[in-house]
Amino acid sequence: MAEVRLTSVGKIYSGAVPAVKDITFSVPDGGFCVLVGPSGCGKSTLLRMIAGLETITMGEIRISDRVVNTVEPMDRDIAMVFQNYALYPHMSVYDNMAYGLRNRKTPEPEISARVAEAARILELEPYLERRPRELSGGQRQRVAMGRAIVRQPQVFLFDEPLSNLDAKLRGAMRVEIKKLQRQLGVTSIYVTHDQLEAMTLADQLVVMNQGVVEQIGEPLSLYERPETVFVAQFIGAPPMNMIDLAPGGGGPKGLDGSSELPVPASGARLGIRPEHLVVDEDGRPVPTRPGDIRLELAVDAVEAVGAETYIHGRLGGDGLMITAREHGKMLLPPGTSRVFTARRENLHLFDAATGRRVDI
Amino acid sequence: MVENRPLANLASHLILIVGVAIVAFPVYLALVASSSDPTTIANGQLGLLPEGHLFENYWKVLFEGTERSTKQPMIVPLFNSLVMALVISIGKISISLISAFAIIYFRFPFRHTAFWVIFLTLMLPVEVRIYPTYKIVADLGLLDTYAGLTIPLIASATATLLFRQFFMTVPDELLEASKIDGAGPWKFFKDTLLPLSMTSVAAMFVIQFIYGWNQYLWPLLITTRDDMQTIVIGIQKMLYVTDALTEWQLAMATTILAMLPPVVVVVAMQKLFVRGLTETEK
Ligand SMILES: Nc1ncnc2c1ncn2[C@@H]1O[C@H](COP(=O)(O)OP(=O)(O)OP(=O)(O)O)[C@@H](O)[C@H]1O
Ligand SMILES: [Mg+2]
Repeated sequence: MAEVRLTSVGKIYSGAVPAVKDITFSVPDGGFCVLVGPSGCGKSTLLRMIAGLETITMGEIRISDRVVNTVEPMDRDIAMVFQNYALYPHMSVYDNMAYGLRNRKTPEPEISARVAEAARILELEPYLERRPRELSGGQRQRVAMGRAIVRQPQVFLFDEPLSNLDAKLRGAMRVEIKKLQRQLGVTSIYVTHDQLEAMTLADQLVVMNQGVVEQIGEPLSLYERPETVFVAQFIGAPPMNMIDLAPGGGGPKGLDGSSELPVPASGARLGIRPEHLVVDEDGRPVPTRPGDIRLELAVDAVEAVGAETYIHGRLGGDGLMITAREHGKMLLPPGTSRVFTARRENLHLFDAATGRRVDI
Repeated sequence: MVENRPLANLASHLILIVGVAIVAFPVYLALVASSSDPTTIANGQLGLLPEGHLFENYWKVLFEGTERSTKQPMIVPLFNSLVMALVISIGKISISLISAFAIIYFRFPFRHTAFWVIFLTLMLPVEVRIYPTYKIVADLGLLDTYAGLTIPLIASATATLLFRQFFMTVPDELLEASKIDGAGPWKFFKDTLLPLSMTSVAAMFVIQFIYGWNQYLWPLLITTRDDMQTIVIGIQKMLYVTDALTEWQLAMATTILAMLPPVVVVVAMQKLFVRGLTETEK
């Protein structure tokens, strides 16, 4: 078992712009760390540097206190699950799992014991003699997991392992992976651009953007207290509504109460999550307290999905598109104008110049 | 497109049958000739049905030789041809696999230059460089040896190109997975790349075996001793006899014998091809 520690890690591909810049964080022993961010932000690059598949341009990576910058992948005691699984097509499922152990000169009885155990955990027993092409996508994915498990490594690395599966299977495998990781207690680093996957799997969430870390923390604390505009908009679906405020606190037409907010001299962006907008029902206004924000929306479209309803409306009649999420059914006719209230404690305020959080 | 029109079916079969007949008839005739006795052919009475001298003729040509021309038992040139074809095809495949592996998977200075140099040799088959090659082989004292017969024909741009093309389609993740699984470059080559290339190797083997087997000009130059002759030259020598009749029945028997090994190779490798075609590896 091992702690993974990154110190000022950076990567520059062949002299061009840096793909990863000055990243520092550590994953505790047995922790499940998820790297999440938009496409091209450098997640895979960072993971591959930890795996030893890319050289490290600067900084230092340690696995259980050993600096591994120049250590070969096979000597880092890691296992990796690839997006396309990278199973050896000409080998049986058994051999795919056994190959790494054989290369390490593990005695054959030990190999078959470990493969049998992995096959049992992953329910792959009936398929051990098959070739990868004779398996379904989900089964291949499990073989890739099995190949990682049998090695009993110090660290698991996953690069979008579920992105080739359909939505239902992805949900099921997500639960499996989490269960397995708890059971085995192996330190894991997992790359995804799916924020649902990120939120549900992570003990520790690392949000990346354009090669830098935006914020690190527990999934829910990132949701509740995003430190930057980027994190605020990246975590949560549908994404947080963002309204620009002028330096004095003045906002667009239809916005009421923003002058109470501590808007910095450079102006601010006010963030409100859709689920925090409460609609005035049948003309009975939601009782407000000082500091609450009220928005007047002209309803554009209503999406009822059963347990909840998404209401899309334009601020002040024809302004910014704002999304609100209400419990239950709420069939507002399009075209009507409604007032929505957001509690002060649910507001997020960001400096317009730096994009960083401002305390309210 | 699956169509079921009896008339079209019949027509296409007819065309195919005629095609096969055109190709197969001369071979059949050679077989008939190789079973007849010398006087029948000399009198121009060769029929369309085989005669009774088949084993006698083959035995004679294999182990005793012709009476009037070379007087060499043909088992020796057959063996020489087999060695030549095998060494050339296996040599070409090995060298090409290794050079394609180097070009695709290793970063070394002048990698692209190396590739283009190999590519350029496509334009320099033996026939073009025959004099300098002969000179080198002669100076090295390799005339009338298997080495002289085969080594100059081994370098192969075609196979290198084919394997390079194939290696480029192998996903990088396989290499990376191998690295993490503790396989070095050589192990990756042996355990992963080679098994995946098997169908290409089989294809190359067939093509290069036939190429090696059918060599004519080079063996003609490089061999002088009768015991180093190849079968293709053996046939040629059988046909030119001074002051006597060509022993056609023996020449035809030799021709049939010369056709057999390539046929065997094609049939044997065909299984691999078919498997490669039907079960695409992913
Ligand atoms: N081998 C390479 N050579 C040069 N640039 C590269 C290379 N690999 C990646 N990059 C660049 O580095 C940046 C980060 O790429 P990376 O693959 O880490 O993104 P990612 O976050 O994994 O994206 P995705 O979610 O699409 O997989 C990208 O801008 C990419 O163009
Ligand atoms: Mg990626």
